[in-house]
Amino acid sequence: MITITNLTRTYVMGTVHVHALKGISLKINKGEFISIMGASGSGKSTLLHQLGLLDMPTQGEILIDGKDVSKLSEKERSLFRLTQLGYVFQEYAIISELTALENVYLPMLMMGRKKQDCINAGIDILNKVGLGDRLDHFQHELSGGQQQRVAIARALVNKPKILFADEPCANLDSESSRQVLELFKKLNKELEQTIVMVTHENWHMEYTDRVIHLKDGLI
Amino acid sequence: MFNDLKVSFFLACKSIQRGNKGTSILTVFIISLIFVNLIFFPSIVDGVEETLNRQSIEHVCGNVVIEPKDDQRYIDNADSIEKKINKLPGVVGTSSRYMSGATFFYNNKSKSGSVHSIDPSDEEVVTKFHSGLIAGEYLGKENTNEILLGIDITGKEGEVTGDSDLGGVQVGDKIDVTFSNGVIRNYRVKGIFDISSININRYAFITEKEMESVLGVENQASEILVKLSQRGTEEEYKTNFIELGISEDIETWREKTAGTIGSLVDSFSLLTIISTVISLIMAVVVIFIIIYINTVNKKRQIGILKAIGIEQNVIINSYVIQVLFYCFSGIAVGLLLFGIIASYLSVNPIRFPLGYVEPVVEQVLILQNIISLVVFSLIAGFIPAWRTANENILKAIWG
Repeated sequence: MITITNLTRTYVMGTVHVHALKGISLKINKGEFISIMGASGSGKSTLLHQLGLLDMPTQGEILIDGKDVSKLSEKERSLFRLTQLGYVFQEYAIISELTALENVYLPMLMMGRKKQDCINAGIDILNKVGLGDRLDHFQHELSGGQQQRVAIARALVNKPKILFADEPCANLDSESSRQVLELFKKLNKELEQTIVMVTHENWHMEYTDRVIHLKDGLI
Repeated sequence: MFNDLKVSFFLACKSIQRGNKGTSILTVFIISLIFVNLIFFPSIVDGVEETLNRQSIEHVCGNVVIEPKDDQRYIDNADSIEKKINKLPGVVGTSSRYMSGATFFYNNKSKSGSVHSIDPSDEEVVTKFHSGLIAGEYLGKENTNEILLGIDITGKEGEVTGDSDLGGVQVGDKIDVTFSNGVIRNYRVKGIFDISSININRYAFITEKEMESVLGVENQASEILVKLSQRGTEEEYKTNFIELGISEDIETWREKTAGTIGSLVDSFSLLTIISTVISLIMAVVVIFIIIYINTVNKKRQIGILKAIGIEQNVIINSYVIQVLFYCFSGIAVGLLLFGIIASYLSVNPIRFPLGYVEPVVEQVLILQNIISLVVFSLIAGFIPAWRTANENILKAIWG
């Protein structure tokens, strides 16, 4: 499903070159639930940003379903993110001016679906993540765990091939974290959803199929 | 494309609906003031021009003025020409005048000016200067020893004006007039007029009969003023007069006053351009600041939108739509405000030295200003939105 070959990412900060990824090669199969672990600065988030098309690699190749996504234009990358990928950020990345439901159905609206279909799909998915009674709530009316579940619902609304999660439980208490991980596990088992999750908590490993350890930009 | 616009519209609407209401109201109010400023000053300038034009017709030259050819001093057979013209339908009347330079003397004071002769009854039909009498009476046809003086010649009693007038001549006073041909006459002041119009208050009027005796001429004229029933038909009548065989110089009021009014209007036009440019710069700055602050505050949200696959142009367009909303709302409020101001000024016109002026609003002017305000606002809104939306996703989200 995902094949990475010799992926490097170097940040240039003035005269200093920071090598965040130093030539990583990796394969992720369809339906896998992968966790990427490593110490702070090991390059795990950087790797996720490359896979999620949020950043451009300095060198290397990323194939998703056989397509070299590292060569896509900005517009094509945007469309690929919309149609093929879902992304859950560490911080509660929902739009404050939109309700929970509007946040969720926005990507579907962007796909050109009828508004009523978007609303129905949004309600359905919010029910699945346990927020059926919070449809019209705004960001400030939701707890951290609820906001993260809205973000997960939004990431899933377009039925992405791969769901990326960048430390999705970092700002949650253990109970909320467990709920999020249970949800991921359920999605993975029932829908065969491919999930790539960055985490630094060891106990999260028990939910995933495989762990990739990163150290100093290398596996 | 249509779907992109639909999403932009969705995002813009939610932002306006759920954004800071105070900021939105203030923005609309500022744009409305800018819009009022854009149309108010030019409308006053147009009002000044209209006042000058109206006064030119009503006090100076009628709709059409006939003057002697360049090589002649007077129009010959003035009566015959007037008769021909008066027969044409749409001609309200004609008034022939003689003009002569003169110096007025009173109580050891003197003042140079211009004496015009009139047939009082004809003049009443063609011009309205008789309505500007502030003291005394209008001339009678047979008056030969009486004169009407403008307020700039008489001056006001007790008002120290140096040598610029006669120091306060009153109705009934007698003054000496030395005409440019050397003839000296003594006249009783029959009336004094004050007309808020360029130069008229520096004129003096005597009867045609008296002027003919001063100049030693008969059935001639320095100019013939023609009053038409409908303004705007002057060119058509000018052609008609030529077809009637009138070979004198024929000018419409617009041609006659082009120099004086034209230079005045040109000066005002420069001020209008400066005022318009300043207003548009203000609009650009206000919109730019508002959208810049808005996009900077929402930088993270813009990054998130891009991360979930919302295209950059959709995000930019959502801000452009917001700008259009603020702009058109501001224009609507501005039109309302201007309507109130214009209504007030039509009842209470502004008094200028040249007369009462009320704003004249042309639809073209409003349309032009709407278009320029919208275009400049769009540019001002687009730039900060483009800059922020163009930023790297991760940089936008995490700063």
